[in-house]
Amino acid sequence: MLFHTPQFFAFFVVVLVLFYALPRPARRWILLAASYFFYMCWNAKFVLLIIALTAIDYTAAMWMRRLPAGRKRKAALVMSLAANLGFLGFFKYYNFLAGNLAWVMARPFDAFALHIILPMGISFHTFQSMSYVIDVYRGEQTVIADPIDYALYIAFFPQLVAGPIVRARHFFADLYDWHAPDAREVLRGTLLVVFGLLKKLAIADQFARLADAFFRDPAAHPGYLAAWSGVIAFSIQIFFDFSGYTDMAIGLAQILGFHFPENFRRPYLARSITEFWRRWHISLSTWLRDYLYIPLGGNRHGRWQTYRNLMLTMLLGGLWHGASWNFVIWGGYHGALLSLERVAGVRERQRWTIADPLRVVVTFALASIGWIFFRAATLHDSLYILGRLFSGPHGHILWWHWQLWFMVVALALAIFEESRGWFERLPEAPAWVYASAIAVCLFCLELIGFTGRAVPFVYFQF
Amino acid sequence: MALVTRRFSVPARLGLALLLFFAIDALAFRTGWYVSILEPDSTAGFLETYLKIEERRPAGRYRQVLTVGDSRMGLKSRVANLVTGDTGCAFGTISVPGTTPRCWYYMLREVDPDCDRYDAILVPLDNYDDRTWENQADRDLDINYLAPLLRVTDLPRFVLSFPSWDNRARAAEAVLCKGLIFQRDFQAFLEHPHTRLEAARLQEEHAQEWYYNAVWERHSLAGMTVDWKAKTLTLPDWLTAGKRSEIEHVLLDEPAPVSPLFKLYRRKWLGAILDRYRGSRTRFIFLRLPRGPVVRPEAPAPDPDSTARQFAAAGRVVLLPEHTFDSLERPELFGDALHVNEEGGYQFSMMLAGEIGRVLGAAPEGH
Repeated sequence: MLFHTPQFFAFFVVVLVLFYALPRPARRWILLAASYFFYMCWNAKFVLLIIALTAIDYTAAMWMRRLPAGRKRKAALVMSLAANLGFLGFFKYYNFLAGNLAWVMARPFDAFALHIILPMGISFHTFQSMSYVIDVYRGEQTVIADPIDYALYIAFFPQLVAGPIVRARHFFADLYDWHAPDAREVLRGTLLVVFGLLKKLAIADQFARLADAFFRDPAAHPGYLAAWSGVIAFSIQIFFDFSGYTDMAIGLAQILGFHFPENFRRPYLARSITEFWRRWHISLSTWLRDYLYIPLGGNRHGRWQTYRNLMLTMLLGGLWHGASWNFVIWGGYHGALLSLERVAGVRERQRWTIADPLRVVVTFALASIGWIFFRAATLHDSLYILGRLFSGPHGHILWWHWQLWFMVVALALAIFEESRGWFERLPEAPAWVYASAIAVCLFCLELIGFTGRAVPFVYFQF
Repeated sequence: MALVTRRFSVPARLGLALLLFFAIDALAFRTGWYVSILEPDSTAGFLETYLKIEERRPAGRYRQVLTVGDSRMGLKSRVANLVTGDTGCAFGTISVPGTTPRCWYYMLREVDPDCDRYDAILVPLDNYDDRTWENQADRDLDINYLAPLLRVTDLPRFVLSFPSWDNRARAAEAVLCKGLIFQRDFQAFLEHPHTRLEAARLQEEHAQEWYYNAVWERHSLAGMTVDWKAKTLTLPDWLTAGKRSEIEHVLLDEPAPVSPLFKLYRRKWLGAILDRYRGSRTRFIFLRLPRGPVVRPEAPAPDPDSTARQFAAAGRVVLLPEHTFDSLERPELFGDALHVNEEGGYQFSMMLAGEIGRVLGAAPEGH
C-alpha cells in the first residue's frame, strides 16, 4: 500500500476517523493496529520481524533500567545492537557477502546465495530502534515502560518504511504530551500531503521514465548532452521522490498530531557538499553524525583522524543504502569530497555572495555524478556513464521541453522558499491564496501526474 | 482536532480549494477551449471533428437524415446527397470508427440536443441477432471517445454502464476530472504547442471538405475464392500479410454466438436513444450492413427475441429487410473482410439513399 495510491488514502481516512472518534486511551492501539496492518499489506509474515525486534529492544532497554552502569548494562546494549545488526546484516547484506566470497573463491556468483526478500523499511526501523537503545544506554532517554507505546514508536505507519528516522525523545514527547492539531497544523499537514503527491507523481515519476530509459541502456543514448540529461533526470527523480514521500509522511503525521523533523531543506541549493549533507536526508545524516561519526572521534583528534572518520561514516552510510560496491563507492565519493572540502577550508556561510550560484551549480554537478553510482546497475555501467559525461559527440537532451520549463518553475519556487520561506507562511495566508495553491497543485497533478501503475518510492528498497 | 478557529477554517479552505480546482478544470475542459485544440488524430479529436462537421451542416429544405455507426457504416454522404432531388433526403453522418451504441447516445445528444433536427436516424447493425464475441459494455475506448461530451450529471449512468471497476474508475475520471483523460494529449501539446495549434487550425478550416470528399480503399478483393469445407482462402496479391491474416480470421473463424450480455447492452443503449426521441418526429431506421465480401453458406437461425426485432415489433423502429443489401456482398465491393471499398461505398450509398427515400415517402412537393 503505497502513499500515493487510492487504497492508502482510503486506509488513512478510516484511521483518521477511528483515531479521533475513539477515546484517547484507545488511540495508540488504533495507530499500532493500523501500522501493523499497513505493513502487512506489503508482506504479512514480516510483521513478525518487526515485532521480534521491538520485543528485543524493549527488553534490552528494560534491563538497562534495572542495571547500573557497567559490563552487564553494556552487554544488554551489545545484545540489542547485535540483534538489530544481525537481522539487518542477514536480510540486506548476506547475498552481497556471499557473492563476494564466491568471487574470491572463483565460484559462480550465486554459489552461496540465498533467496532472501528484503523486508521493507528494515534499514529505517532498525536505525530508529538502535538510536533508542543507545540513548537509553547513554542515559539520554528515559526507558519506555509501556510496550504498546514502544511498539508504536517503531512501527508508526507514516514513517515506518522510509523515515524520516525519528528520535525517541521527539516521538514520545508528542505521544505523552499529545494535543489535537489546531486548524493551522491541519492545513499545513494537508498542504504537505498535496505537495508530496505533486512531487512524487508529477515530477519524480515523470523523470523516472527518462532516467530509467537512460540507465537501462546508456549506449542507446549517445552524446554527452544525453548523458548529462539522463543523469540529471535521476538527480531530479530521487530528490522529488524521496522528499515527496517525506513531505507526505510529515503531513500525515501532523494531521494525527505528531511532529516529524525536517528531512530535506532544498539540498540542490547547497553551495558545497558539506552543506548538501546538512540539507539532504537530514534525519539520516544527523543519525550518522550522532551514532557513528562522533563516537568514532569526530573532529576531535586531529586532521587525519577527522578525514578517516568522515570516510568511514560515509562509506557505512553508502552501505546503509544498499548492498553493493556501487553504494560503497557512492559513500566513499561523498566522504572524499567532504574531506577535500575540509582540506580546502570550505566553510558554510549564511549570506549569499555573487559566486554562490556557480558553487550551487558545481555542487549539484558533483552530487549528480555521485548519483550515477547510486543508480547504475553495475560498476561497469557507472564508469561507462561517467566517461560519457565528458567525451564523445554532443547528442541531444532527453527531456521534453515542458519538463525543462517545469523544472525552471520548481527552481524559482525553491529559491523563493530559500529567501522568503513562503511555504511555512502559506497555511496562514488568506484563504483564497491557500486554496489557490492547493487547487493549482491538484490541477498540475491532474495534467501531469503519472497515472500508470503506481511506481514505488525509490527509498522503499532501502 | 479543532478544524475551525477564529483565524482558520479547515473545511472552508479545503472546500474552496476543491471548488477552485473544479473551476479551473471546467474552464479548461468544459468550455470547449481545450477540445478545440485536441490532437485531430486522437480518438476524442477524431470524434469531435465529426460532430463539429455535423453541427455546422446547414439544415436546408430537405428531410434531414443522420447516420450513426462505426467504420463499417459504408454511407458516403457525398454520394447519397447526389440523389437528394430524387429521395428528398439530405444525409449527414457521425459514423465514427470504433464507436458503439453507448457512444452514439452521447453523440446524438450533442448534435441534436432538442431531438428536433432529424427526420430519420439510421442505425447500422452487423446483424439483427445480437451476435458478438466482444463485451462492448466494458469497452474502454468509449471513455476516450466520449470524454469531451460527458457532463457531471452523466456520472451514475455512464460510470455504472461499465461492468469492471477499473473502467468505472476511468469513466468517473472522464466525467469529473477530464484532465486525467486528456493528460497524454496535453503533454504532447506542451511539447509542440505551435505544431498542434497549426494542426487544429487546418482541421478547423478543412476538415469538412476532407471528410466529405474522402476517398476510401480503391483496391478490392476481386478474385478471392473460399473453400468453406477446407477452410481456405485465395486472396488477391496486393494484400499485405497482416491484412491476409485478418481477413482469414474474420471470414473463416466460427461465427460469433448470440450474446445475452450484448443483447442487454444493445437494449440498454439503443433503448436509451429511442427513449430520448420518444414523442419526437424522428424515425429510427435499423439496417443490416452488407456482411462481407463472401458470406458463409450456412446461415445461423434468426433470433426472434433479438433487440432489433423486438424494437421493430414494438413499433419503435423501422427495420429494413435483412437481405436488402445482399447484392453488395461481393469481393469486388470490399477492401477487406469488413469494410466496403470506394466502389462498394458508392453503390451502398446509392442503394441506401433510395431505400430511405422510399421508407420516408416521396419527396415533398417543390423539392
